Amino acid sequence: MRILVAIGDMSRAPRLVPITSAHVSGASYKMVGDPGLEFLEDFALEARVAVPTTVNPLGTDLRQWRELGVPPDFAEKQERIARAYETMGVRPVYSCTPYLLGARPGMGEHIAWSESNAVCFANSVLGARTNREGGPSALAAAIVGATPDYGLHRDEGRQPTLVFDVGARIRDFGFSLLGLFAGKEAGDGLPYFRGFRATEEDLKWLGAALASSGSCGMFHLERGTPEWRSAKTKGLRTVRVAEGDLEDVRREYTTGDRPDLIGLGSPQLSADELRGIARLVDRTPPRIPVWVFVSRIVRDACPEAVATIERHGGRVLADTCLEVTLLEHRFGTVATPSGKGAYYLPSLCKQKVVLDDIRALLERYA
Amino acid sequence: MRLPARRIAPGRAEGTALVSAVPFSFVGGADAASGEILDEATGLRGERFGGRVFAFPHGKGSTVGSYAIYGLAKRGLGPGGIINDRAETIVAVGAILGGLPMVDDVDVRGILTGDRIVLDADAGEVVLPDVEAKPVVSVFLRNRGRVLLVRRSERVGSFQGRWSAVSGYLEGGEDPRERAVQEVREETGMKAVTFRAEGRAVVARHGSTAYVVHPFLFDAPRRDVRLDWENVEHRWISPDEIDAFDTVPRLKDVLISALRGR
Repeated sequence: MRILVAIGDMSRAPRLVPITSAHVSGASYKMVGDPGLEFLEDFALEARVAVPTTVNPLGTDLRQWRELGVPPDFAEKQERIARAYETMGVRPVYSCTPYLLGARPGMGEHIAWSESNAVCFANSVLGARTNREGGPSALAAAIVGATPDYGLHRDEGRQPTLVFDVGARIRDFGFSLLGLFAGKEAGDGLPYFRGFRATEEDLKWLGAALASSGSCGMFHLERGTPEWRSAKTKGLRTVRVAEGDLEDVRREYTTGDRPDLIGLGSPQLSADELRGIARLVDRTPPRIPVWVFVSRIVRDACPEAVATIERHGGRVLADTCLEVTLLEHRFGTVATPSGKGAYYLPSLCKQKVVLDDIRALLERYA
Repeated sequence: MRLPARRIAPGRAEGTALVSAVPFSFVGGADAASGEILDEATGLRGERFGGRVFAFPHGKGSTVGSYAIYGLAKRGLGPGGIINDRAETIVAVGAILGGLPMVDDVDVRGILTGDRIVLDADAGEVVLPDVEAKPVVSVFLRNRGRVLLVRRSERVGSFQGRWSAVSGYLEGGEDPRERAVQEVREETGMKAVTFRAEGRAVVARHGSTAYVVHPFLFDAPRRDVRLDWENVEHRWISPDEIDAFDTVPRLKDVLISALRGR
């Protein structure tokens, strides 16, 4: 409670607002290390969550870590972090896509989520309300059941700060490129997009990349997201986006040329996406392994797709994700269509990156 | 010297100060097992927190920093208290988890490593018992986007020949804003100026003396200036030109603070 009050005071929030769910980042041992492990174990002695709470991906798939060559010490500490969270009463699913796991917050619901892509999706696509929480503040909110009422919780905090007029044709992989481009321009602002249509899955990739290269917690899409009609765009700076801008982004984030892994996740794939990848891999089997990152629920729901990918030398990993998992002990260059992955792989996993469309990658490395 | 501060985490700490002029991350910036500072850019590499009062502009980096502060505090290897220019959630949450007193809204460049210091979060102040405060007002006059600089004469008591804003010492108990209006009248001959903003105090250290500068911004109706004996020339400049002038210490920070206001 003292944490929430201090954050509220710093942000000049007039009050705490009750929340219906929390999502906590900081579960991968690779990310939180010994300080996180120590804190979470101490905290779990007494703390219990007061609202439904989900947790971000772990640093490895705890059912496959031996086959992945993960050091036993790492796996043991990872297991202890998961146990600490579960003692606090969280739902034992480790995912960066809580919005795909059934319990989706509704329009106008106040929530306290960390994990930037989930924040962006919840605010923009679902119309729920959360700031970009850090792991510790989201955990504090989960325990108290409330969060300081400021920023994206308030109508005035959800107004756009700049407009992207998109002239380029955006499909599939293009959403990741557009997100990377717009995030860099927008910084900590709130983008308003116009000029394209998108499915929910497209918006997931757009938001994930946007929230990586920028610290955006929300965006609007004209005729595409639920709050676009209340967005005021008059007088805002307008940025035009052409095909060439997106190609520049692809080149800028491509830092390697000989990948030893194709990594698909960041965020974790949905069941439909996993099945689609299995079909593509079956049609064009690559000569380097394909690792697909999904939630445990999705992996269990798609045994045939998992079998297909494994038959071609790939893996479907659950409860972990591309940029928080241990890759650096085995790989040096990763090919991925994920904008978020391309943004974080160099710093978090010491990887070079080949950023491209999944079909192009499978054909190139077949 | 007493500096007002905003309480972030309760408590009181007393000891010597450890000051970084650059933002700090407790993840990677310090060794968790020893409390030794690793970040070269702080100018403190190799120092240990050892219970000293740690002042730095603000936190940066991963939110795991909160847990790192907790771990250091738990083992007694962390700072005894934290002072920031501007608190953000990583360090604030860490201070609360670790039970460390913390304040912000203090110009940390007014504190030097080695100063004797008392951080009293509950009273909302930071005290440097060995430092003598000299309160000063510093006024930027603005006219159509340009601000007035004056060059100090050889007859003034300090910083002769340097560029400055209109300024003067505050006598005991005097209202800073009234003093500001009076200095403008004396040094420029202008009377009909309009108050726009008062910025947060900037502290310029000169050994054991601290000039506590209260920044003001006033709009001036015209640009004709009548200097008195304290200054020898004047110039109306665009704020981004200030780097080109040889100024009194930290005048640029005073300008930024005045333009930003409270």
